[in-house]
Amino acid sequence: MTEINRQIQLVELPKGKLSPTHFKLAEAPIPSISEGEVLLKTVLISLDAANRAWMQGATYRDALESGQVMAGGGLAEVVESKAEGMSVGDLVFADTGWQDYAALPAKNLNSVPRLEPLSYLISVYGIAGLTAYFGLLEVGQPKAGETVVVSAAAGSVGSIVGQIAKLKGCRVVGIAGGAEKCQWLVDELGFDAAVDYKNEPVHKALKTACPDGIDVYFDNVGGDILEAALFRMNDMGRIACCGAVSQYDGDAPKHGPRGIPGLIVTKRLRVQGFIVSDFYAKRDTAMAELGQWVADGKIKVQEDIIDGLENTPAALIGLLAGENRGKRMVRV
Amino acid sequence: MSYTSKEIQLAARPNGEPKASDFQVGTTELGEPGAGEFLVRNIWMSVDPYMRGRMMDRESYVPPFQIGAALEGGAIGQVVKSNNENFKVGEYVQSMLGWREAFITDGAMLSKVDPANGPIEANLGVMGMPGLTAYAGLFKIGEMKDGDTVFVSAASGAVGSVVCQLAKAHGCFVVGTAGSDEKCKWLEETAGIDKAINYKTCGDLTAAIKAAAPGGVDVYFENVGGEHLVAAIENMKPMGRAALCGMIEQYNATEPAPGPHNIIQAVGKSLKLQGFIVSNHFDLLPDFVAEMSTLIGSGKMKWEQTVEEGIENAPKAFLNLFSGANFGKMLVKVGSDPAA
Repeated sequence: MTEINRQIQLVELPKGKLSPTHFKLAEAPIPSISEGEVLLKTVLISLDAANRAWMQGATYRDALESGQVMAGGGLAEVVESKAEGMSVGDLVFADTGWQDYAALPAKNLNSVPRLEPLSYLISVYGIAGLTAYFGLLEVGQPKAGETVVVSAAAGSVGSIVGQIAKLKGCRVVGIAGGAEKCQWLVDELGFDAAVDYKNEPVHKALKTACPDGIDVYFDNVGGDILEAALFRMNDMGRIACCGAVSQYDGDAPKHGPRGIPGLIVTKRLRVQGFIVSDFYAKRDTAMAELGQWVADGKIKVQEDIIDGLENTPAALIGLLAGENRGKRMVRV
Repeated sequence: MSYTSKEIQLAARPNGEPKASDFQVGTTELGEPGAGEFLVRNIWMSVDPYMRGRMMDRESYVPPFQIGAALEGGAIGQVVKSNNENFKVGEYVQSMLGWREAFITDGAMLSKVDPANGPIEANLGVMGMPGLTAYAGLFKIGEMKDGDTVFVSAASGAVGSVVCQLAKAHGCFVVGTAGSDEKCKWLEETAGIDKAINYKTCGDLTAAIKAAAPGGVDVYFENVGGEHLVAAIENMKPMGRAALCGMIEQYNATEPAPGPHNIIQAVGKSLKLQGFIVSNHFDLLPDFVAEMSTLIGSGKMKWEQTVEEGIENAPKAFLNLFSGANFGKMLVKVGSDPAA
């Protein structure tokens, strides 16, 4: 066990692109805990595009400030407990931040079962899998035979969205960056078609890939790709707004996609944003169903695990640039 | 004898803002009503912003108007000669055959209007399509709950003014925008909303809404587009709903206008933005009629109308919709009502 608590601090809030200079590795003493708290040792840190969004201003959580330990959640193990119901060795999902140890009140923590591989608790059974499940089924509400398009399709959420949509009998088209990822979506995950946004005009490619238009668009990227999808949506289509990774890293856009509100009215679309916790009341059902699909081999889980806390900033920067395939996390 | 009818035809497809020369007056020989047919003389006709969309040659939820042919739209008229026992001379009927003085029909697609239920022209306004649009948008799309904070753009218009008063009747806190102090005064004093904002003089619209509704907005009823949508998104509470009914600011745009730069907030605040068209919600008609009749009967639903006289002035009435010259429902009085 390390005797010090390594932390990655956010030294400066990024104005444009996020870079390693916005972070620094610092050392602090391991925190001591008070009554009702537990000391957690971070096991796996989940990396998500949302980490970058938190630096832009208040969202569903307060905006990050410079000088604090970079926020982030993941899987942690209880190493000391002064809280009822929590024992040493318990595993929890926790907002530990990017550090080796964190002292947190036990009442905010969710215990999770110890299963193998532990990383599945971050990917398919974690925020990514649940986001895909709820966003597609509760917000997108696809019906068999409909066309579902998902952007950032090779990412942690997108790769699961596409596979669930296939299970529901939909035609599934993924948008991803690079021929290799697109190939993988079709060959390995069973997508019907893939659009390489880095090498072809998305608007035209969507027209070819979706001859019957789009019924459900699961949006992880926003911006120009959202606009291209809007123009191909069928009447009564649904857009599940999960994220806007194209908009997080860089200057604020001057304007949004063309067609809002015009196309939403004439096509009678429902454009709905969500965060995974909106649906936590149905979490057990979701976990059970996802578990069954994984056990039956109907969903392939793709993970991208990077070792070492010190590599976390680079791992996030790479994620924003789209270099990951599947769920990216850091093993601390 | 043979009957003739003056009508307004589409002379050219407007490019950008429609102008008088995009319309022309024509005369049609109607002949005589045949077996089972009857002649209707229009008294009132409606002009509505959605008609701008039908002037473009493109696929939409209704087919485009044809060059050289009479325009169409809601109208109320009276049967003046009849060979149809179901439609007697003197009865009032509602049709989609506006923009003309008279027409001969077999009665398909027509409904009767009972003058005992109030002014017949209300069937083109509060009790008609604009009223049902307000009702469907607020309750079905906006999922308004009693006590919500509701923000309405174009609040003194035909749809907006009904939205405002329905929301007030359900105990909501209502903020609306309009384009003149006179309209704002009417909204606060007659329609009874909590705060009216003159969007032409208020400066920063986002700040003005925030000042009027510091706790945020649960339901936004969108009639305008552009800056209004940006300001609404900025002020919406988590889980807020936007019912997108129209975008009068953008109907005349020659290419699709840029959307709101802050649409990304839909994710962080779990917002729903949903477009709708009244014709998908005719199932709500019985509930709508019941609620509106009660509100009108108890004096809780007020409305204004702006009237142009004569079929020749129908294009002018339509053009006025885009400059905001109308107050409340814009109508054209096509012919006299012998009973009035």
